[in-house]
Amino acid sequence: MTAAPKLERVPPTTAARGAARDAHDDGDGASMAAILAAGIGAAALGLLVLLSEAGIFSSPSLYGPAGGLSGRSTFAVIAWLVAWFLLHRAWRARSAPRWAFAWTLALVAFAVVATFPPVWSIFG
Amino acid sequence: MNLFSVPSLLTMVHGLVLSGGAIVGLVVSLLALRWFAQPAGVAGAAHAGGGLSAVHADSGLVGARAGDRFAQVTTVTAVLLWLAVLGGTYLVFPLYREAPPEGVTALADYPRAMLMANPDTRWLHAFGMEVKEHVPWVAAMLTTATAFVARRHRHTVLADGRMRRVMASLLVISLALVSFVGLMGVFVNKVAPLD
Repeated sequence: MTAAPKLERVPPTTAARGAARDAHDDGDGASMAAILAAGIGAAALGLLVLLSEAGIFSSPSLYGPAGGLSGRSTFAVIAWLVAWFLLHRAWRARSAPRWAFAWTLALVAFAVVATFPPVWSIFG
Repeated sequence: MNLFSVPSLLTMVHGLVLSGGAIVGLVVSLLALRWFAQPAGVAGAAHAGGGLSAVHADSGLVGARAGDRFAQVTTVTAVLLWLAVLGGTYLVFPLYREAPPEGVTALADYPRAMLMANPDTRWLHAFGMEVKEHVPWVAAMLTTATAFVARRHRHTVLADGRMRRVMASLLVISLALVSFVGLMGVFVNKVAPLD
């Protein structure tokens, strides 16, 4: 007859304390805020590229040798960080809405299409 | 052609060390997500039972170590990607797009002008380089988000099936974008190298 495994009480490990902190922390709000913000930053870049190619709005060149790319990328990074800050504040203490990841994928898809040069010909 | 000129070295560091390192990091992150995946609840088991079982405590410790490693890999990958993007935009791209002085017909030192001067290679700028300018920024932002999640939830993320799928999706997108951009970079540098 096999003896039953002996259970012994052990103090919570560092891992367990970390896991408990994660579990009590905030649901997935802060994580999804970071993820959706990345999608927003990507879409902002795509939109700036499309506007530039359509001749509606050209981002200023913030660093001459890099041309308009320096302005477009800087504005997109600002949009990303602002979105991350606001979403983090709003969602850090709760679970994120279920649509957050689907929207992230949609925004990233938009960004990829918008930065795809053949698409620019649609806008002349 | 001078292999060890400053522009050539900058291009190699940008393309091989930083971008190549980021691609390796993305692949390792994806493999780590799969290899280090923990059954649901393992990481928190020791605490949930009030420190009940040495077996569960050990499992939790292994999960935590793997979570720490995963967080480190994604963070290093994000840093490499940002260095590649910033270096590419502010150091390499200006050298690439430098316009030749009026009347200069030897365009070997002016890669963009060289590509645009030939109808057979014009697409490398109009398509390849234009993609290279923008798409890496998207990958850098997505990879940063992945690294943030990996660090913030490093004790539980490998035992959370839904979050693993979300992170795997972002890493696959980043890897696809960076790999495609890397391929364009190889094409451009093969026809009009910076040296």
